[in-house]
Amino acid sequence: MLMSSQSLATDTAENSVLSLLYTIPTAGARRWRVAIVALTLAAVAVASASAGESDVAVGRMIAAQSLIPGRVACAACHMENGAGQPDVGIPRLAGLDARQLEEQLAYFAKGERRSAAMAPYAVALNNTQRRQVAAYFASLPVPAEPDRLASTPQQLARGRSLYADGDQHTEMQACVQCHGVTGLGVGQFSPRLAGQSAAYVADQLARWRAGDMRDPKGAFMQAEARTLSDTDIAAVAAYVAHLGQEP
Amino acid sequence: MTNRILLSVGLLAAGIVGGVVIASTTALHVSPSFPYVSTTAHQFAFKPRTDDQIPKTPFGDMVRLGENIFRDPQTYAAKYVGNDLHCTNCHLQAGRLAGASPMWAAYTAYPAYRSKNGHVNSYQERLQGCFRYSMNGKVPPLGDPVLVALESYSYFLAKGLPVGEDAPGKGFPALAKPAEPPDYKRGGEVYARACASCHAADGQGQSSANKVAFPPLWGARSYNWGAGMTNVKSAAAFIRANMPLNLGGSLSEQEAWDVALYIDSQVRPQDPRFDGDVQSTRKKYQNTPMSMYGQTVNGAVLGDPAVTPPSGTVPATAN
Ligand code: HEC
Ligand code: HEC
Ligand code: HEC
Ligand code: HEC
Repeated sequence: MLMSSQSLATDTAENSVLSLLYTIPTAGARRWRVAIVALTLAAVAVASASAGESDVAVGRMIAAQSLIPGRVACAACHMENGAGQPDVGIPRLAGLDARQLEEQLAYFAKGERRSAAMAPYAVALNNTQRRQVAAYFASLPVPAEPDRLASTPQQLARGRSLYADGDQHTEMQACVQCHGVTGLGVGQFSPRLAGQSAAYVADQLARWRAGDMRDPKGAFMQAEARTLSDTDIAAVAAYVAHLGQEP
Repeated sequence: MTNRILLSVGLLAAGIVGGVVIASTTALHVSPSFPYVSTTAHQFAFKPRTDDQIPKTPFGDMVRLGENIFRDPQTYAAKYVGNDLHCTNCHLQAGRLAGASPMWAAYTAYPAYRSKNGHVNSYQERLQGCFRYSMNGKVPPLGDPVLVALESYSYFLAKGLPVGEDAPGKGFPALAKPAEPPDYKRGGEVYARACASCHAADGQGQSSANKVAFPPLWGARSYNWGAGMTNVKSAAAFIRANMPLNLGGSLSEQEAWDVALYIDSQVRPQDPRFDGDVQSTRKKYQNTPMSMYGQTVNGAVLGDPAVTPPSGTVPATAN
């Protein structure tokens, strides 16, 4: 199910992102777009939230209700519990670091992190709203949900070895160095990977390998992904998706 | 497979037919070429053997133990370790990486005379020094399984190298003298920009799930005043080739010198050879402009016993 790096690295428009990343059959795609239009009617002015409400509470409203006429809300893609849609590569946001989420929204808005799917949503938020919606998703418990993608025991074993020990042939650093033994990330330096969508992880790795920077800190990952093969990307992505889900 | 998408938006779908297709104005991204010139590893031909080549024999068991100690001495050699560092923190990729003082190149260079202690050292004796200084710990006796295991691991990695010649990739790649004398203030700026995101502003490193991820560069849990890394020249060479992690070679030589001076001008555990007086200890053991020990930085004398943590602080429970 993992997309080849080639197609993932060259998406240029939202519809192609959707069809490439999500591989939705035509019928599904049409209904997806139906839903987007329908939401316009449901759009509620989030701005009316009273000043006393906490960031998390306001953020929850932003996540659940569309801010942009003609477009869905965050929750339509990332789900209201922040679980994302692992099978189609929409990242889980629940339990990620609030500042990292906020930063990424700013990079999407600036166009530095290129995503046709996310850009319009990030642009529509002002600084305060970014902080609020980030606080909301960060406050959510990480859903205990199995990864949607099938993976073989060999893939998981290879992925574990890359994650824990790196690659002695290519001298690639072990992921554990910067993301921690259990994949929880390190402070505000690196994001949590444990339980993240394998399709999303594979996509990000392929894009770094293709030379995309994503944002200034992407330099660390660009160097990391340089020597990874498609097979190894799939293996390490499957492994991190399973991290934290072993009994 | 589309079910979950439909589920997430289905509640809101009111049956309006139509689509929103956004034409992208994003130009196709042109990949920047990889910006850093790697100064080290890749240009060396020697490839040490890999873990999958460790034989399934009693010797192979010793090799594995050696690698485990190297990666995690707090677990596998606890009674000799007095800080939070691992051998692999400075000898990267478990002592395999050229330009990060690899163990295969070290192994073929001993026995050797060392001015540090004024006599010919066996490889095991060289290893003892690492525990005493870099690990701020206690010296394992010669023949101790810890030393035998580390020696076996190094020997395993070195297979195929000629004995008695410096293997290319040994030590750290030499750095030219800096254009300007290394400077503490400039070093602090480099540190804040290029190092603090991992090693933390206070140099104490960072953990993930209670395991050290980014090791401390100074303070009570780092290397002591007798360690090779307190030599500013060694530290600068290590840093230039290997730091920031994954981006080795990205600092200028001047920046590497400046930041090395900065981290080697901080508080760290006492030199285990301390004779009660900082200046006399400096004269006896580290009388080089490359050591900041005994020098005055920001009004304080480095190594001053009043503010310097003790050396050799192995955990009480391990003894
Ligand atoms: C149309 C579906 C869709 C909608 C709606 C959407 N997102 Fe996203 N989001 C994505 C996709 C796809 C990605 C992965 C982007 C990439 O490829 O880099 C993503 C990535 C992200 C990331 C980066 C996560 C990470 O780990 O770096 C954040 C943060 C985020 N979205 C927040 C939001 C917020 C907040 C909203 C609502 C304001 C929102 N998204 C609405 C699809 C969507
Ligand atoms: C040298 C440190 C370093 C190493 C080693 C490293 N990472 Fe990362 N990783 C980072 C940093 C920093 C980020 C944040 C990048 C950004 O903001 O653009 C990151 C981000 C990521 C992301 C994006 C997560 C998200 O939520 O968007 C993925 C996926 C990832 N890393 C996977 C890996 C894998 C798999 C490995 C091992 C093959 C690895 N990393 C090794 C530093 C590292
Ligand atoms: C704080 C960083 C650091 C740590 C931790 C460290 N070392 Fe070292 N090691 C060095 C430096 C720097 C040198 C070079 C010293 C010199 O030239 O004075 C060195 C040299 C060596 C050498 C000799 C290399 C040669 O080519 O001659 C060996 C062998 C060695 N270390 C083994 C170890 C072992 C085993 C451990 C763990 C028990 C360890 N080191 C921990 C920094 C470190
Ligand atoms: C991506 C995070 C990261 C950045 C940024 C980084 N380091 Fe490191 N550093 C590490 C890691 C991880 C290790 C241990 C390497 C290993 O175990 O393989 C390390 C090891 C070291 C060591 C030897 C171990 C010790 O504790 O003394 C020194 C010295 C060092 N770094 C200095 C620096 C300097 C100076 C900078 C800035 C120029 C820097 N580092 C930037 C992650 C980083």
